Amino acid sequence: MREEFREHIRMRTEDLVRTGLTRSEAERRAHREFGHVETHRAAARASRGLAWVDQIRFSWIDVKLGLRMMVKHPGLTLVAVFALAVGIPTGMAPAHLAEALDRPLPEDPDNRIRAIRFWNSGSGILALPTWGDFLLLRDELEAFDLLGAYAGSERYNVASEDGRATPVLGAEVTASVFAMLGTPPLLGRTLDAADERPGAPDVVVLGHDLWHSRFGADPGIVGTTLRVGRDPHTVVGVMPADFRFPLDDRVWLPLRDGPSTEAGEGRQVRIVGRLARGLDDRDAQAELTALQLPPTHPSRVSTDPRPLEVVPFSYTYVGLPRAGMSSLPEYHFMRLLGLVLLLVACGNVAMLVFARTATRFRELAVRSALGAGRARLVAQVFTEALVLAVASAGLGIFVVDRAVGAVPWHLIAGEMSIPYWVDLGASAAVLPPALALAVVSATVAGVLPALFITRGDIRGSIRAAEAGRSGIRFGGGTSALIVADVALAVGVIGFGVGIARHMTRISASDEMVGIPAREYLAVELRLSANELTEADGTRTGEAVERFAALQETLAERLTAEPAVRSVVFADALPRMNHRSRRARLDGELEAEPGRWVRVARVDIGFFDALGHAVLAGRDFDRSDAEAELPPVIVNTVFVEEVLGGEEPLGRRVRLAYGEDAPAHEIVGVVPHLGLNTVSRTGDPGVYIPGAPGTIHPIQLGMHIGPDPERFVPRLREIVAESDPSAIVGTPVVLSRVQQGDWYIVIAITAGLGLLVGILLALAASGIYAIMSFSVSERTREIGIRAALGASRAELARTILRRTAAQLAVGGLLGIPLATFFLLQIQDQNAGSDATTESFVLAVGLGLAATGAVALFSCVAPTRRALRIEANEALRAEG
Amino acid sequence: MTDQADILPGTLDLLILKAVSLGEVHGYGVLLRIEEISGGALSIQQGALYPALYRLEHQGLIRSEWGKSENNRRAKFYRLTGDGRTRFAEEEASWSRLSDAIGLALSARPREAES
Repeated sequence: MREEFREHIRMRTEDLVRTGLTRSEAERRAHREFGHVETHRAAARASRGLAWVDQIRFSWIDVKLGLRMMVKHPGLTLVAVFALAVGIPTGMAPAHLAEALDRPLPEDPDNRIRAIRFWNSGSGILALPTWGDFLLLRDELEAFDLLGAYAGSERYNVASEDGRATPVLGAEVTASVFAMLGTPPLLGRTLDAADERPGAPDVVVLGHDLWHSRFGADPGIVGTTLRVGRDPHTVVGVMPADFRFPLDDRVWLPLRDGPSTEAGEGRQVRIVGRLARGLDDRDAQAELTALQLPPTHPSRVSTDPRPLEVVPFSYTYVGLPRAGMSSLPEYHFMRLLGLVLLLVACGNVAMLVFARTATRFRELAVRSALGAGRARLVAQVFTEALVLAVASAGLGIFVVDRAVGAVPWHLIAGEMSIPYWVDLGASAAVLPPALALAVVSATVAGVLPALFITRGDIRGSIRAAEAGRSGIRFGGGTSALIVADVALAVGVIGFGVGIARHMTRISASDEMVGIPAREYLAVELRLSANELTEADGTRTGEAVERFAALQETLAERLTAEPAVRSVVFADALPRMNHRSRRARLDGELEAEPGRWVRVARVDIGFFDALGHAVLAGRDFDRSDAEAELPPVIVNTVFVEEVLGGEEPLGRRVRLAYGEDAPAHEIVGVVPHLGLNTVSRTGDPGVYIPGAPGTIHPIQLGMHIGPDPERFVPRLREIVAESDPSAIVGTPVVLSRVQQGDWYIVIAITAGLGLLVGILLALAASGIYAIMSFSVSERTREIGIRAALGASRAELARTILRRTAAQLAVGGLLGIPLATFFLLQIQDQNAGSDATTESFVLAVGLGLAATGAVALFSCVAPTRRALRIEANEALRAEG
Repeated sequence: MTDQADILPGTLDLLILKAVSLGEVHGYGVLLRIEEISGGALSIQQGALYPALYRLEHQGLIRSEWGKSENNRRAKFYRLTGDGRTRFAEEEASWSRLSDAIGLALSARPREAES
């Protein structure tokens, strides 16, 4: 249209020039004759039946109006921004997480690097391939142009020239891994194939951080020798700062070619490969599926088959099915839940926008009378809501991004930080979904109320507006919204109750530890990873001997210290998280699933040192640890729950699958000694004796007395003197050993508290908006009822009946939701009675909270309604 | 453009259909053609032409397509459709009847009126 108008004016100008006018004069006149272009455009569009284009056209004035409205109604703005700033990131979170895990490695812009793993889709069990598997795959696979293997991330003791040794996270990798990633070294070279040969000189590649912190960024470091573990290694290269493959590693050693082994044998490794150009996952998977593994291969055990799979790199660490997170029903449930939450938030904001818009009814009616069509008015309210939603989305994403950066991941994940390839922060990629959700939010929160208000004959409603009424009625949609609010609040409070109970159980377990955990100091000891295993994956006899010697020396030296009351060794100390195993009693059928029990491998004298005598039977002695089939000691909970209170001594228990799994004889019973239990009665526990040197890594526990941390410097001295190459973990007081878990629990609780608060605030504002409107809309009805002699109590009942019904329906719908949440938290050993209790508590609390909010919201409007005089009501009718 | 008469309401569409019926023409050409065939007696406010053109097109009476003008520039040309031709004939007939009737009425002498 513009072009046609332009051409018209140009032709007219030419004609006028030909009549003798100057060009500028001709142009001016042609424009004047044509008239106002925009008016003609609008008229032309209207004549084509496209008037609505003009009506809903984006207008900066609407944006300005939206901003002005945000300032003018700060209360509404605060609640709405809060709701959407939480709702929009929540709606985005599951997809964001899935996307973060599927993202290729930063070193892999073409997205060709994959991992190969064994995976049982039924049980969700992830198994690592072995060196033998790698050799077979390297020979057979053609879909990959490079295949690499690595073992890590383990701790290696790296000693600098001054002899000081530090444990550093590192990996043993094949040279092909470096070739695959393609990151050039900062100094020297990366590993090459010659380094992998048996007997090749020991070499090491250093990470940038390590090079900086321990070697002062010495430019001449390449070619020097440093001790990694026990042996000297020559530094051949330094990698740049952002290279931390595979997780957060700072040291790389060659993964040595071991003796050729069969598939399924040798040490465990992880396998990565680069897809050949032009081939995709399907080709690689087809090749893997066609591959014949020997029938004796562990992955072909009939009860636990684990086929080979080609997966995105992160899936070698994360137990997700090959098709990704989106193939899990839970993922879709979480997405749906996030969206429902957002929609409920939007619905509540809609109610507030509705209430605000309804108060502007006269303004809208006047605009309509001046010629604004319905679409124009709806577009205006939509733009106002969009301003609100975009501001909220921006704020929400900014805060979440900051929060993700501020979370002390190392406290949660232990000494391991999150992998370098996981980036949960906001990037440009979050903008499209965020905008989409903002538009959805604005549609729900703006368009729906606007459509509702402008339906029917808006101009005809001016008279009603003049009479002080908006002429608007609330429909069933708002009732549904309040019901959803109440149901969600009940559900979320249920979740909160579950978490709170979980927390109390954890703190209750403090008293069930059986030892004064506050007086114990615990520290983990291990050897440098490259000293532990032979190339074929077996533990070196030398390492066992060294570790045994260290354990014995430490026991002797520490006991001699005046500050130390007793010393214990085990793979897990009371209060720590013990490993879970399924236990079957001898005589139980193979098919029996068995009971979950907690298992610890302990040094001889463990119970004595903790001050607990064996209650029945006998303690371990040295011969037990060396026996072919060591006996076990169980705790009292095991006797109660697994044996049903029967005589335990002499019974046998299997802790592994299979008919030929060893059946250990129970020789003693001890009291419950904190197995990180979170159930009220404690966990069944089984203790297995471990000879010195065979438990690795090992936890060393020392009973010091009050303020045990004062002993830390002396402890470090003693360990360094006993074996300078041993890796010493961070000593912690035993009562604080679960701090990481606590952070998670506190974070979840705080997050849930926030969520509950927001939902309640939203429900409250929504209920308030509806109540005050429906009461003011029913002025006439109430007035007439009052005139007809209805008592105040009757009137109040009439007004409150609807709220009560909404509460009841919401509460009923909230019950299954709360049940679902509670079932998610129930741990495997908690009795079913806990569920019922929590469940009643959750629904009760949820209903009480939302009910209180609803009643509070009803008070003011109800009082207002009860003051209405009959004649006033009739006057309002005009 | 002096001595020009404003066109009667409702006659613009008819004039446009007439102008277009004489052969394919662009918007400015419609304007010139009306001026030309009315002997310079009728003027149309230039911008107001387009809403009428689009309305006729929307009604399916005329059709437009882009082509080259006499100065070899891009311009949108309008032509009559089958429906347009029918409608034009009807309108033309109806206008003639009306104009004849009005002419007849205006030419009446006092004597005729008395009888």
